[in-house]
Amino acid sequence: MRILNLTVNGKSHSVPVTEHEMLSEVIREKIGLTGTKIGCSQGSCGACTVLVNNEPVLSCITPALRFENANITTIEGIDHQGELHLLQEKFVEKGAIQCGFCTPGMVMTALDFVNKNPDPSISEIKDALSGNVCRCTGYKKIIAAVAEYAAEKNGKILPQKKEKNSTTEKTVGIGRPAIEASKKARGIADYADDYKIKDALHVKFVRSLFPHAKIVDISTDEAMKLPGVRYIATGKELPVKFGVLPLSQDETAMAIDKTRYAGEIVAAVAADTEAIAQQACKLVKVTYQPIKEFLTIDDSMNDVGEHEKIHSDPNRESKFNNNIHKKAELRFGDQQQGLKDAEVVSNMTFEMEGVTHAFTEPHATTAYWDENGLTVISATQVTHYLHRALAKTMEVPLSRVRVIKPHVGGGFGGKSDPFPHEIIVAHMARKTGKPVRVCLTREEVFLNNHGRHPSRMTIQLGADKNGLLKVLDADIIIDGGAYGSFGVVTSYYNGVLLQAPYKLNNFGFRTFRVYTNKPQCGAMRGHGAVNSRFAVESLIDDIAHKINMDPVELRMKNFLDSHSLTVGQYRITSNGSRESIQKVAEQSGWKNKHGKMEHGHGFGVGCGFFISGSALPIIWNELPQSTVHLKVDFDGRVLITSGANDIGQGSDTMLAIIVAEVLGISMDKIFVLAADTLLTPVDLGSYSSRVTFMAGNAAKDAAENLKNEIAQAISMKKEIAVEELNFSNEKIFSNNKTVDLNWNEAIDILTAKRGAVSVSGKYISPKLGGDFKGAGAGLSPSYSFGSCVAEVNVNPKTGHVKILNVWGAHDCGKALNPLAVEGQLEGSWHMGIGQALSEEMKYYKGLLVNNNFLDYKIPTSLDTPDIHTNIIETMDPEGPFGAKECGEGALHPVIPAIANAIYDAVGVRITKLPIKPEHILELIRQKEKTIKEVPASS
Amino acid sequence: MITEKKYIRPQTIDEAIHVAHDHHHSFRYIAGGTDVMVNKFQGTDETNCLIDISGLDELKEISVEGNALKIGSLVRLDDLKKNEIIQKNFPALIEAAHSVASPMLRKTATIGGNLLCENRCSFFNQSDWWRESVGYCLKCEGDVCIATGGTKACFSKFVSDTAPVLISVNALLETIDRDGTKIFSLENIYTGDGIAPRNLPGTSIIRHIILPLHQPCRTIFKKLRPREAVDFTSLTTAVTVNESGKIKIVLGGVDPKPVVIEGILNGSSEEYIKMAMKKSRVVDNDFYSRSYRREMIRVFLEQSFEELKK
Repeated sequence: MRILNLTVNGKSHSVPVTEHEMLSEVIREKIGLTGTKIGCSQGSCGACTVLVNNEPVLSCITPALRFENANITTIEGIDHQGELHLLQEKFVEKGAIQCGFCTPGMVMTALDFVNKNPDPSISEIKDALSGNVCRCTGYKKIIAAVAEYAAEKNGKILPQKKEKNSTTEKTVGIGRPAIEASKKARGIADYADDYKIKDALHVKFVRSLFPHAKIVDISTDEAMKLPGVRYIATGKELPVKFGVLPLSQDETAMAIDKTRYAGEIVAAVAADTEAIAQQACKLVKVTYQPIKEFLTIDDSMNDVGEHEKIHSDPNRESKFNNNIHKKAELRFGDQQQGLKDAEVVSNMTFEMEGVTHAFTEPHATTAYWDENGLTVISATQVTHYLHRALAKTMEVPLSRVRVIKPHVGGGFGGKSDPFPHEIIVAHMARKTGKPVRVCLTREEVFLNNHGRHPSRMTIQLGADKNGLLKVLDADIIIDGGAYGSFGVVTSYYNGVLLQAPYKLNNFGFRTFRVYTNKPQCGAMRGHGAVNSRFAVESLIDDIAHKINMDPVELRMKNFLDSHSLTVGQYRITSNGSRESIQKVAEQSGWKNKHGKMEHGHGFGVGCGFFISGSALPIIWNELPQSTVHLKVDFDGRVLITSGANDIGQGSDTMLAIIVAEVLGISMDKIFVLAADTLLTPVDLGSYSSRVTFMAGNAAKDAAENLKNEIAQAISMKKEIAVEELNFSNEKIFSNNKTVDLNWNEAIDILTAKRGAVSVSGKYISPKLGGDFKGAGAGLSPSYSFGSCVAEVNVNPKTGHVKILNVWGAHDCGKALNPLAVEGQLEGSWHMGIGQALSEEMKYYKGLLVNNNFLDYKIPTSLDTPDIHTNIIETMDPEGPFGAKECGEGALHPVIPAIANAIYDAVGVRITKLPIKPEHILELIRQKEKTIKEVPASS
Repeated sequence: MITEKKYIRPQTIDEAIHVAHDHHHSFRYIAGGTDVMVNKFQGTDETNCLIDISGLDELKEISVEGNALKIGSLVRLDDLKKNEIIQKNFPALIEAAHSVASPMLRKTATIGGNLLCENRCSFFNQSDWWRESVGYCLKCEGDVCIATGGTKACFSKFVSDTAPVLISVNALLETIDRDGTKIFSLENIYTGDGIAPRNLPGTSIIRHIILPLHQPCRTIFKKLRPREAVDFTSLTTAVTVNESGKIKIVLGGVDPKPVVIEGILNGSSEEYIKMAMKKSRVVDNDFYSRSYRREMIRVFLEQSFEELKK
């Protein structure tokens, strides 16, 4: 230990520092400024950027002792007397902040860059930000914020007047920053690892070295002797199984008798410091006896039971004697007849590697027990299911568990299951009587996975010569990894979500999900249907070429109509498919570009659709899907309490917008308290793109109930009919102005002799769908639709693909907050670009090879093309103010649009994801060979 | 037992060298530290004593002495582009430096550090848990190379992007140690052994990189990587031709050391390409496959020759 003297944000500090301690640790843990984030610990993501003597430094890989007497500026030090720095202001205004976890690093990097390059071009800005990973925004709004900041600072443009939204006649439909955006910009929004509960122990895990092995013995004696070690837990202490689906309760918090993937937790150490816990983990001796491992789809499908299965629960008869977890199959119409009717058939086999969410905030959890039972603060998308899983595994009543969601640095589906680390810290907190915290390393985050399933599918699509689709058949196998997670749903979604956006009367699929000895797969943005959508949109493109029809025209002919039923009895209400594709075709100049560019340059199109919230809950019960409470007291402030989990997508703001709109009040009269299972009513959480539709409707219902209460009170007091009262602009008035109250006067009337008033609102889906087995899969009260056109350059010598432009359009019903909707769309397209070209979970003998932000290739700002964003509004009849989802569905069309653009550029059909240059070269060679072998005779 | 860790920040070169000799059993110099600290995080570098030389200002200068340009080893990668002599004479060096990692890293990482950047491999640059699980490889005291299955040689790849350019223009290094200063040809410090890829004595410090001025030449630089930023190289090529038509081809990312081929511009480029491919010991330890990287050697060199003819 040495004493290090630093000045941080103008304040002097003398802190004890260990010899090789990183600056980020000192700033966060010793000085207590947690705005500086740690995303990767190896300098690959930029979240930890601070300024040291006015130079940017990646504090997570820089030893603190380098900086004796240095002057350090962190994100908390750049505002002035409480006023945001102009750059922070631009980030807020432009919607450059979603989850906010990359924001501090991004702001510090940009601040230094513009200081030294006062008049940067857009490409210079992209270059400057290329070491800062953002997983939410697709960089577009960040680049815009930096550009406008520079332009304003150097006097190229006049200071943009902040549009102070003085009118409160309308709140819906006006783009606005998220309500917490300023806090995030200043680095003072607390994420899970920013909660420093005093006297907390730190946890580290011992992880399995083998993909499939019996645990023969675990010896913790040596580890327990290490000073500072407080408790070591092993699997037997937590025997209760859990899983997000009631059908797949197949996981324990730690491996008990055997391990099912390399990296599975075998033991956990709680100690006074992270370093001690880490060291103790190395002293825990585990004896394994490796058994036959199943690492690929084929390993698991082909085994006929001669080896021990991954899951062999003697109490549960499995239908399968191999490692198949689930078979899902549905058939509609007459596929044989459809095939006969089809004059042209396209049939291809596709292979997709797994990808993962790669949110920038690592999982982190703190747990403690007190007189109220268990409290867990965790980076989760679904407080409700975590609440249930903790009660189950801790074997305590539901009433003894409280789950609090702090700010969450992105989820994309990857924080929606209950996780082993959450259960383990709860257990260790109970055993030690102390608060216990854990923050996963980036490698551990990758091992948690729950990402998109690696898939293999053979799909057959037939059409007549006029381009009308006649039949679709899909034969799909998905690789689920070691546990169930959302896999049963994924199995269905891969198939059922192919029954739209096109009319298909003869349609069927069969999906097998297999267990393998790898980290489990689950739900990821666009859940279940991203891969099969890519396949089908590629086949449509192929058919269009075969019958010499414009792929846009072919799609236009086949779209389902608004207010129709699909063959599997999905109720389609609003449907902006046609508007979407027309928009992107027009904007990209499709007619003059597709099929008309020089070799190596191409345009492609794709479409998609997605559920706007699953109509059925995961855990069957009669609770509404969402309940929202409003409370108004003498001060006129409306408190919204909702269990909905804002993970950076902006759902808290969405709730406030809806309530403000209904009551005709300004946003600053509203306070949102969300996702704390003690204080907030149940919402099923942020998954399946359900929050705007379901929590939004519940909020609207609650606000209408409150409005009614206010109107009733005024009606009684002023002897006026309720129907004559208007709520607008913070006033409640009758048309003839006999009643003309401001909001607080109205609330005085409401609360007189009654006190604070609370109301409740709810959302329950209508009964939907058929009554056959599997009819519930993919049912939603509404569906979103969208389309993308991509423009690419393909280098025929290297196979390198450069995406030049993406034009996207998405039907979200009604954009309650267009700024947030654009952000969701741009982020979806960016994530799709990653899966298309560079991202994959790469394994070697069951070990994840690219388990960090250097080797897992998220597109940087330089790899992200110009994105042209279009919101299509169709006013959904049942969505709140016409709104439906925009957070996931937009991802679907972008991957096939890119693949189809590659076909347009160089004439090869992509059947593997990610699209690797070497694969393109191979296909080009095969094509040239075929041309040579078949000399043109005509 | 926890071995005592140390962090020392010497004020002079002499002091640095003195401290290094005192801790010769387990120390590492760090300049920017952007490579070493990541290796320490992953546990592939377990040295106890870090000697931080980033405060040695005398190593941060760029000067001209006679016919030589001397670049101090602690000049940051990001600062090379600010020097007019480098801009004019060695633009490919600026291009190469700009292709390294990301903007922030380039503001910390130094040219000297980049030349000494540790070799990399998919199976080596991993956490301790990972390497134990895979069964430690040759580069971390195991007995087999995971990438090839062999037991004799480690094929961790050489990843400096600036070195190929510097070697192609015949750069020299001036090093200093207790026994005084020495001059090495940069090319000769790389051993080709993936386990111990450099032969400079551990205690010596690079003082300058020396480049010949007044020997006009042109260099074509190319780098293969999945993304346009952040990534280490999967293939770096630098092809330099001088006034008399002598050509020097240097490849990085495809062998444990830089692969060097010399010839003349009007010679058979096909022959040079074949030699380059033959000399490169490419193995499957990268984002791209072995065969693709080999194929790209050809494509990159063909393109470089084309561009040189213009």
